[in-house]
Amino acid sequence: MRKVAYYKGCLASLSAKELDSATQALAPKVGLELIELESVTCCGAGDIHEAEPDYYLHLNARILSYAAAEGVDTLLTVCNVCTLNLRQANFMLLGDTELRARVNENLVAVGVPAYEQDVDVRHLLWEIAEGEGYELLKGAAHKGLKGLKIAPFYGCQILRPSKIQGFEDPDRPWSLERIIQACGGEPVDYPAKIKCCGFPIIQAREETALSELIQPIEQAYEAGADAIVTPCPLCHLSLDAWQSKLKKSTGRDFNMPILHLSQLVGVAAGLTESELKFKRHVVSVKPVLEKLEA
Amino acid sequence: MQVGLKIWRFNSRTGERELQEYEIAAPEEATLLDCLDIVKDQHDGTLAYRKSCRMMICGSCGMRMDGAAVLACKMRMYDIAQSGHVPVISAMGNLPIVKDLVVDMDPFWQKFNSVNPYLQPGYEEPPDGKEHVISQQRMNVVHKEALCINCGCCVSECNAMEADPMFTGPQALAKAMRFVGDPRDGQKLARLEKLNGEHGIWECTRCYFCNERCPKGVDPRDAIAKLGAESMKEGIDRDMGAKHAKWFVTSARTTGWLRETELVPKTQGIVSAIKQTRFALDLARKGKVPPPFPPHVAKDVREARRLHDLVRDQGRNGFAGIVQGEHALARLAHGHSGTETLEEIYDRPGAYHRPFIADEEADV
Repeated sequence: MRKVAYYKGCLASLSAKELDSATQALAPKVGLELIELESVTCCGAGDIHEAEPDYYLHLNARILSYAAAEGVDTLLTVCNVCTLNLRQANFMLLGDTELRARVNENLVAVGVPAYEQDVDVRHLLWEIAEGEGYELLKGAAHKGLKGLKIAPFYGCQILRPSKIQGFEDPDRPWSLERIIQACGGEPVDYPAKIKCCGFPIIQAREETALSELIQPIEQAYEAGADAIVTPCPLCHLSLDAWQSKLKKSTGRDFNMPILHLSQLVGVAAGLTESELKFKRHVVSVKPVLEKLEA
Repeated sequence: MQVGLKIWRFNSRTGERELQEYEIAAPEEATLLDCLDIVKDQHDGTLAYRKSCRMMICGSCGMRMDGAAVLACKMRMYDIAQSGHVPVISAMGNLPIVKDLVVDMDPFWQKFNSVNPYLQPGYEEPPDGKEHVISQQRMNVVHKEALCINCGCCVSECNAMEADPMFTGPQALAKAMRFVGDPRDGQKLARLEKLNGEHGIWECTRCYFCNERCPKGVDPRDAIAKLGAESMKEGIDRDMGAKHAKWFVTSARTTGWLRETELVPKTQGIVSAIKQTRFALDLARKGKVPPPFPPHVAKDVREARRLHDLVRDQGRNGFAGIVQGEHALARLAHGHSGTETLEEIYDRPGAYHRPFIADEEADV
């Protein structure tokens, strides 16, 4: 069992509690012992980076510092946006000793340990798409997905900018497809799988956001997918909760179930509803579960 | 080497569209542009594309290869030809096609012009006979933005512009930052006011395609974030996007975690929030609207609050807060992790194709 610091972020703490619960239940099956960080805050979700960038850097340095204080080398995330914000701040600090010294001085001044021991920020997707995590996943997914057609939706910030993320080719990603296959599902391909779900502007520019959101849902639907899976709770919220709003603009009722990555693997690994909490979804996951039980 | 290309031909007068395949012989160091020249010279003189400098500075030859915008003159074909892959070449996205690979750049230039892409007077004149001397450090603020060659690769892939063609877009906004950040410009506040309009900076959806595609390292998304930060610093925060961003700061320093339920009224205002009540109730039934009371408070959140006040007093917000990280992030762009060899850098998953290296032939 490999110990990693676990940063669940805002959504998994609140409106997407099902993601946290499914991740906690899945982790030991893929060889991860999660050390939940308590004294941490929001990463700023790109918004604090744009509103008060120096505060963004310090907030994230504080999270990195508390992760390092656990004596681990990896900070595990379950959200695209947390992953980018933390990795970006981390590279700013690792690549500039003067900047790191100044940030550390400020951290210490408010009672936070200095960020000394480097940690690497990694998304759960990367941990289970290759290496030991992948081998364990193959063994754990014993219940399988019975050939369900699953549309992988990556979202943006786990792929781009690739100089910061860099896990896989941002134009031809393979990790979700590999996991879907390992779980006994059939990945379907469609162009919008690497595009934006619209979430960052879904409140400030809803119409523009919905024009983005419809693409993956419509294309996955046309590709015959039973469900979409995403590694990001913001994409999940957008695709799941805002899906009903597409009806008004298009007159079409999509009802495409949206699964978190941890839930998809969790289903294949035989986790139960008490851990997966599908009842918290806006679009019902029932059709998927019924197909699995059939 | 033999290079195969599939090219989307298009005739805007007739609307005819056809995928044509070409097989050509090209020198091993050939770029995509060299290959197109060979097609045009030796195989099919009717092929249309733009080019001029052939050395990544004029910005004429933006086009798509396998769906991703590239500068044809930057794209070496050696690895692709060796792998046997036949790439699909098409015109850039988000702009109307005139013929084959030539797009109508008019909408692009209109947006470019809309940000007044030139220095405007109004700064304090130095005393008589003195030069206006500006430090290198101060000019570093716009170093990346000044690299833009107006090729349109960022615009081609912009997800927000695809959803709303009126969006000012990454190129024009990066250009705007080039002048907002320039100490010789006298219209910073007026520029920021305008950039906070309906189709301005807050319509960016942060898909990061622009950063990914830019062949010159401009990172337009980061330029847009700099404009946002500078607007907020100057108190220009009336847009819903700005209010949205501000609520994250308030949340972080009060409870530590995002206060999700209050985000909608804080962003859109109470009236709009009430109009969405039915939608909100649907979400609430699923536990997607966590009750604001009692608030979910992070442990030791006092530290986050004190950190906020301390950092605010140090005055590095606005674009300066983003610029301070550029030096370190540029090392990533150039592949300096410190321990990797050049070969390892190019062999990273997702790295750009390795450039053609003459004496490496033996390995192939």
